[in-house]
Amino acid sequence: MEEKVPECSSKGTKRRRDEEDSDGGNGVSLEDHLTFSDTLVALRIMRAQFPHIHKGSVEPFILKSQLYSSVKDRTQVDRELESLRRDKVLRLFKLNTGQDDHGIMFLDDYLNQIDRVVKRMEGKKGEEYEVFGWFKTHVLDSKLETGIEHQDLCSLLSLGGKVKDNHISLLINAGLLTRQLIDPNKYWFAIPNIGALLKGLVQGRNEVISLLSRRRYKEMMLATLEKKRLRMSSLDMRFHLRDLIGSGHLRTDQTPTGLVIRVSKD
Amino acid sequence: MHVWKEIRDREGGKVHSHCFAKRIKSNRISQLELSNQKDIVSPHKGAINSLQIDSTEGRYLLSAASDASVAVFDLQRPAVYQPISKHSSLFLLDKHHRHAHKFSVSSAIWYPIDTGLFVTASYDHHINVWDTNTIQVVVNFKMPGKVHRAAMSNLSTSHMLIAAATEDVQVRLCDIASGAFAHTLLDGVMTVEWSNSSEWVLVTGGCDGAIRFWDIRRAGCFLVLDQSRTQLGRRPPVLKGSMMTKSKALSLQDSSTKSRAAQKKHANGSGSKQLPIGRVPSKGPMKQRLHPGMLSTQDRATAHYGAVTGLKVTEDGMYLLSAGSDSRLRLWDVQSGCDTLVNFETVRLQINKPLQFATTQDATLVFVPCMRSVKAFDMWSGNMKSILRGHYECVNSCWFNQQDQELYTGGNDRQILVWAPARSIADEMDGPAEDQDNWSS
Repeated sequence: MEEKVPECSSKGTKRRRDEEDSDGGNGVSLEDHLTFSDTLVALRIMRAQFPHIHKGSVEPFILKSQLYSSVKDRTQVDRELESLRRDKVLRLFKLNTGQDDHGIMFLDDYLNQIDRVVKRMEGKKGEEYEVFGWFKTHVLDSKLETGIEHQDLCSLLSLGGKVKDNHISLLINAGLLTRQLIDPNKYWFAIPNIGALLKGLVQGRNEVISLLSRRRYKEMMLATLEKKRLRMSSLDMRFHLRDLIGSGHLRTDQTPTGLVIRVSKD
Repeated sequence: MHVWKEIRDREGGKVHSHCFAKRIKSNRISQLELSNQKDIVSPHKGAINSLQIDSTEGRYLLSAASDASVAVFDLQRPAVYQPISKHSSLFLLDKHHRHAHKFSVSSAIWYPIDTGLFVTASYDHHINVWDTNTIQVVVNFKMPGKVHRAAMSNLSTSHMLIAAATEDVQVRLCDIASGAFAHTLLDGVMTVEWSNSSEWVLVTGGCDGAIRFWDIRRAGCFLVLDQSRTQLGRRPPVLKGSMMTKSKALSLQDSSTKSRAAQKKHANGSGSKQLPIGRVPSKGPMKQRLHPGMLSTQDRATAHYGAVTGLKVTEDGMYLLSAGSDSRLRLWDVQSGCDTLVNFETVRLQINKPLQFATTQDATLVFVPCMRSVKAFDMWSGNMKSILRGHYECVNSCWFNQQDQELYTGGNDRQILVWAPARSIADEMDGPAEDQDNWSS
């Protein structure tokens, strides 16, 4: 059904071109690069294709549903993600935009993001910023899951110094931790400064689906759909398409004139 | 025609008889489609909530519906033979019956030993045990809340306990022999299943997303499945030399459930607990000494991000499948308590009702009701092998009959559909074929 990218050398050249092409990817069509053979390759290429947003400053992240649409075998994706996570190459975050949404970020990008946030917050008097250093060295290193308990957090932070309640509130205010709704003693790890993008994600999803549902036969050629611009989301169309195909809301079919995207009914 | 080749190989001894039977069965299972030979006339006027075929003969199908009706069908003797065999119910227990339930019957199960008794559990807070021949209620249990599911162990030789999953916070075990409640285990539960490897082990799936394993001989659960504990696929077979390193690796694992389970094993009856260095003890104010079995009530690990809506233990008792309202289906290794990370491509699953899904006996295929269709997934790769579309509304339950390789599904559209392997054209007895050139008259 989907086209496979040719192996080896041509993938290498295409990847270099993608990395130079930082804005929206108008030189590269989604149709040629819908699937990849390996999870890590897919992650790197999607990270390079992350839309450049000049207003906000967010490091590239990838959604798990985008990976599912890019690599054919979902079990292989899950297992490779798990081993990459255990090797501390990347981190998984549970997003609050849906029941099972997860975001993936490379560890280096995440640390850069934290540094950016800390730099912006600095300047206010009377706050203790060493907690961010403790967080990076002790907590992130040993806790690889998406959530953490209050007790564990305190004990790991205390390896760096004496922990006060102010420290934890500072972490929550910076956006590195969010409380879990089901259990008041547990926190989710979170990506700071990502709120506007998540809102754009939800609205963009709705916009793409309504765009297709309004048409008479609820389908459109991928080549034309890609070129449309979204009004409500700052993330580009390619990002949303990968996400919606991976989560099953849209499906692709091969036709003699190319790929067509349809809204999937059960 | 490859079937004839297989038979010749079997005759000549090239293929072992087990292999032969297995090949024929899996070939038939891969060709399941809506049966055009067999039909079940459903007398129900409400959505069908559960289906079960008895395990002793594989002949009688018991179905329970939301209009408080329960029906039994004989699958081997239809009422009408031609043109297709229609099976109608042997009897129907509806609201007119004296002892019938008042609200929806959520599950009906056969007594595991023979078909003389069956048990029905209903939203009117009652569990009834019926005598099949006289259709009278023999024993009646009143529960504190709506009963979502009832289960009896297939392996039990020493107890006759019905485990009931109610909307109340407790799982109750009802004893048919004495008519009393044997136990209450603390959990808020939507589904319950007995283990296929031990008659004392019960698995419950709760509305908070936790899956717990209980040994009914003592208080507390001994294992809580945590979705963050994962393993990649099947466990490798344990070699003698690596036994020591494996146990060391397990004890150093950074997971609180494992440390608690390990503590329970080591603290044999003694009240004091030796906590390993670096582990955090239970929270400050609650420093009272808890029974080792009850430590698990403080473990809030979840197996799903929503309620657990369906559970199924494979026939060999080694793996557990669970479906949650986060629309994910997970395969767990029971012995290690880890998620095997097989991704089943389920887009949407029904959220508010318990689901009943089916596996083939050798645990290669899983049949899962996904909204209006039933999808057949390969167990270990998660690929979808086929979609069975036939119901007009959501499918609630399916049951696989291993003997005839047929699948029975029931849904909200009040129909019970039969899915059977495709019959080849040579089996049709239509008489001589029409003369195709004779069209001008």
